[in-house]
Formats: sequence, structure tokens, C-alpha cells
Amino acid sequence: MEASNKQVPVTVLTGFLGAGKTTLLNRILTEQHGKKYAVIVNEFGEQGIDNDLVVDADEEVFEMNNGCICCTVRGDLIRILSGLMKRADKLDAIIVETTGLADPAPVAQTFFVDQDVADRTKLDAIVTVADAVHLSTQLTDHHEAEEQIAFADVVLLNKIDLVDESGLNIVKDRIKKINPFAKIINTKKCGVALNEILDLDAFSLKRVLDVEPDFLTSDHDHEHDDDVTSLSFVTDTPLDMEKFQDWFSKLLQTKGQDILRTKGILDFKGESDRYVFQGVHMLMDASPMGKWPEGKDRSSRLVFIGRNLENMNLKEGFENCKSA
Amino acid sequence: MKADTSQFPQLDKTKFEQRGKEFEFGIPITNSVCLGNSIAVGFGDGTVRIFRSGKNSKTIKAHNGVVLSMAEDGNNILTGGDDGRFLKISIDGQINEIYNFGTRWVDHVEAINGNIACSSGKDVYYWAKTSNQPKIFSHNSTVGGLSFDTKGRRLAVSRYGGITLWKKDYTNKWTSSNLLWKGSHNKVIFSKDGKYLISSMQENQLHCWRLKDKIDFAMSGYGSKIKSFSFTDNSKYLATSGAIDAICWPFDGDGPMGRKPVCIPYVGNKKVSFVETFPNENAVFTGLSDGSVFLSEIDKEDNTIIIRSFTEHEVSAISITNDCSNLLIGDMGGNILWTSVWDN
Repeated sequence: MEASNKQVPVTVLTGFLGAGKTTLLNRILTEQHGKKYAVIVNEFGEQGIDNDLVVDADEEVFEMNNGCICCTVRGDLIRILSGLMKRADKLDAIIVETTGLADPAPVAQTFFVDQDVADRTKLDAIVTVADAVHLSTQLTDHHEAEEQIAFADVVLLNKIDLVDESGLNIVKDRIKKINPFAKIINTKKCGVALNEILDLDAFSLKRVLDVEPDFLTSDHDHEHDDDVTSLSFVTDTPLDMEKFQDWFSKLLQTKGQDILRTKGILDFKGESDRYVFQGVHMLMDASPMGKWPEGKDRSSRLVFIGRNLENMNLKEGFENCKSA
Repeated sequence: MKADTSQFPQLDKTKFEQRGKEFEFGIPITNSVCLGNSIAVGFGDGTVRIFRSGKNSKTIKAHNGVVLSMAEDGNNILTGGDDGRFLKISIDGQINEIYNFGTRWVDHVEAINGNIACSSGKDVYYWAKTSNQPKIFSHNSTVGGLSFDTKGRRLAVSRYGGITLWKKDYTNKWTSSNLLWKGSHNKVIFSKDGKYLISSMQENQLHCWRLKDKIDFAMSGYGSKIKSFSFTDNSKYLATSGAIDAICWPFDGDGPMGRKPVCIPYVGNKKVSFVETFPNENAVFTGLSDGSVFLSEIDKEDNTIIIRSFTEHEVSAISITNDCSNLLIGDMGGNILWTSVWDN
């Protein structure tokens, strides 16, 4: 999944019905940017998208027979992306609009699992449009809304003109509790600069390096066990590679369904390279990412977003990976 | 900066390249089909080109987008496009739009004995030779592939969870039965003797049903998805892409269960991206991901000849004319080799 010039970036647009996905899409398409975008929409979506390259799709979630219990992919995306790659004119980007109740995980997993998709395209970012007025209720009533926030690289908090300041702060806190790493952009009528939502390369391993330690806070209060929360850990003690791999692979195998997203930068004892990974449920993309910068402290940072994280003994598991 | 090409060995052209014609269209080639002694080629810009021995190729602007699928229908070609159009194109270039699905792609097209079918989304539209009105066969998920048997009495439709097998009785009434296997099924074909049905899956494997007793089994061990496979005319072998060898499964006797496939190796460890069997022979044209193409006899070890050297673009089309006189090779970079099969 590493970036390459040949891969067409794919932006996934999620958000509940009425949040403003269509407004955003039309804004992207009508702006004078001289770029060629293909837009994949679904038949239950909102109508009125103005582009010469709109592809209708049914969201079809397929289970894979790869022994990974939570591994599902979007069959329609595999078909459509491979068809788009046969076009004579090269696309600058592809935008996938999901239905309001869609779980973003199968979309993201498609880019890990299907080799043809991974060779020719790359997941650029998941952009979630949220309605500042209704998000709090939607988060309480629909776990899909939580997942859309949890998977987001960018949350476009729309319709901010329709709530007062305290209302806005409440909804922002709610978003941060679920996903403290997503960038929140306040908008009215989805007015946002396109470079803030497109071509972000948010799923590349290089971007994991941008996760700042001071950004990390742990243990949020939450209302139900079912809530999506995040936890993060930092240590200056180098980790033992074997212990870490053993713990982490078991963790993903047994708890992968509840772990929505993970990211990490790891400092292994005896290794001069930084190890970086990011994952969706049980699937992971990992690679050494060059030497540690000269003169800077080495440390390991690990981030989890998911459900029931407090029951996974994450802190203890991580501590046990420290080298003796 | 100028590249110093003198340091690279100058590879000789193969004898097929020397006596044939090479074209560089620069647009991905998506399909090819044989129409008697002509070969029609579909491109990623919606163009169809027809190659004929001794004549210039004919260019037809067919679709406003990718030619996704193609089939031979007597003297016509059927094409399906990402512009939602299902077309019948005559060999002299007359275009007849059979159906327009709007923003829905026409993913697959097939024809047998003048009866034609296409799929768009979850539905297969079927036109009997004698009818202008399509019959619609619906499925629960998007159609991954479709195939008629050689008599045209059975139509296999692959989808998520297995194959729907449609059968026509002697009153021309269609009924369906299901062949189930978990996972997503794509391309599907019958063996030429009609005894077996093979589908390729999202996972790197094929699934096979022996139709007389519905015994089914997987054929696995591939390093990538199997996008191209083809039976020899006597149904003795199924040649398949997806590995670095051309994997040829034996289908004579009781079929491939418990038997090993013939693995035909090629130099360079490139992936096999396309296979097409040679008419009436146990032989296969093998196209690799670097654009090179070989012809191998399946029964004889070490009997492989090179047809085309590498182009750096994955082979995506190989067709031979009905009289076995001419051969066409196309790749994803838009390169075509049109050549005679035999020395003159």
C-alpha cells in the first residue's frame, strides 16, 4: 500500500444521510481545478451529482475465505476500480461515496486485501461529513455513525451555523473522544479547500510518523461499554521485537473485530530503523521507515481506536514488550 | 539527459514479429475475439478495431468509455461498455445499440447460436434469436461472469456465493439451480464437452463442479488471481494464468481430482497473465506480465517457442483466426502484434 506515482488516490466519503456528502461532492467536482475525477455513488444515495464520470454501484460486502474472521471487502469496488484502470484517460483521483449507514471498514480493507486494487490505486483518506446539529443523536442511536467517525482521517463538521458555540463544543468533544487523531474542519455548506480533503496520503506509512506524542492522551470517560474510544501508549524503553510481534499478532487475531484502527511507530532493541505500521481490524501494513533522526530521542508510540479497549489489557501487554 | 542504450543487449525480434505487423496505440487493450478469419480488439477508450489478413485494420468508435466485454455473434461482435451500452457491431462497422443501461456498466456479454446475453449489475438480459424482448434473469449480487454451454441450453452465471445455472427446457422455458461455494466468483466457463463448470474466485483459486454428480472441488496454489483460463478443444486440459508457470489441469478420465497439473515454466519468473489454447491441439499460447508470449505443447516437455518478446506491459488479449492462419496479441500498454502463424 505504499505510495507510488502510478497509483490513483481514492478518497472515501462517508457520513449520515443529510450531513452534506452530495454538497461536498458537487463542490469538489465544480471547482475549477482542471483535474479528472471519477465518482462512485450508490443507488440509495442522494441524487444530483454533476460529473461526466459517475459510476453507479451497489454496496456489496463480501467475506473473504482468508481465515480472517472479520475480513470483509467491497466486491463492487474491486470490480469498478479494476474497470476504471482500463480507461485510456488517466484519472487524477477517484471518490467513493458510501451510503449513510455504511461501515467504512470493508472499504478500507479492500485496499489491503485485493492485490490488483492495491497495485493500481491507493486509499488516500476517509473523509466523514458530520452534521453539527444531529451528530450527537446519531452517535447515540447508530453504531455506524461511531464507526464513520472512528475511521475518519478528516471530519468535516458541517452546518456549524445552525448550532451555538456550546453545542459545537459538545459535538467536537464527542468526536475527539471517539477519534482524537482525525482533523476536524468546521464548515458551512461544506465550504472547504480541496487540498484539505484530497491528496492527503493519510493511509501511507510515512504519515504515521506525523502522529505526535503530545497529541496522545489516554483513557477517556465514556458512557457505554459499546462506545468507540481510543487509547495510546508511549515508551522510551526499546521494545523486544519477538515479544511485540507475539503479543500484537495474538491481539489482532483475538480482538481484531473490536479494534477498528491502529497506528504505531516502534523502536526495537538492536534495530537502527524505525518500524511503522497502521492497520484496519485484523489487517496491517508495516514496514521499516528509515533510520531514526540523528540527535532525537527514540521512542515507541502506539494508538488504538476501538470498542472494549479497556478489557484487552493493552497497557500490560505493551509494558511486557519492553526489552529487559 | 540522454539514456545510453548501447549498453543494453539488442534483442532480436522473433520470427513472428519479423513477419508480422506491430502497432503501438498507447491505450489499454481489454478484449479480443475471433470473427471467422478476422479478429476484433476492444480498447480502453471505447474503440473497436478489426484486423483482417491482407487488409488495413478498421477502426470503429463504439463506446464512450472502456470496452469492458466482447463476444463473437456469427458475423457480428457484441460489446459491453462502461457507458452502459450493449452493442452489436457488424464486421464492416455498423453499430446497432441493443440496450442502454445508462450509468450502469455492461460488465459481460455472451452469444451462442444467435441468442445473446449481457449482464449489468445483478441482472442478466437474454434475447432469444427470435425475440426483440429481453428475458431478465435476476440474482442477489452483481454478476461476476457468464457463459453458455456449447449447445446454448445452459447459461452459467457466477456471483457472490456460487453459480446460478440456468437451463432451458424443450419448451424454451428457463429454470435455475444453484451451485454453492462460499466466496465471490468471477469468470466462469464450461468445459467444451459440457461436463465441467469452472469459476475463478476472488481468492487465488479456481472452483470446479463436475455437473453429472455435482461433485465440486477447489484448484488452488496460485500466487495471484486467475483472470484467464481456457480449455483445449478436446477438453483434455484446462490452461490457467495466475502463477509463474502456465498451470494446465488434466480433465480427461475422471478429471483433475487427486492428479497433478502440468506446469509449463518460462524464463524470468514473470506472472502468466493470459492464456489461450491453440485450436484442435493440446497446446497453449501463454502471455506474461512483461508482454512476452510463448506457445507451448502441453503434453511434451521442453516444447516451447517464443512468439513475442517483452514490451513491459501485461498481455491482455490473444486470439487466433478460425483457419489458424493469423494470430493477434495485445497488451495493457496498447501494443498489438498481428502476425501469420505459419512460415510461408
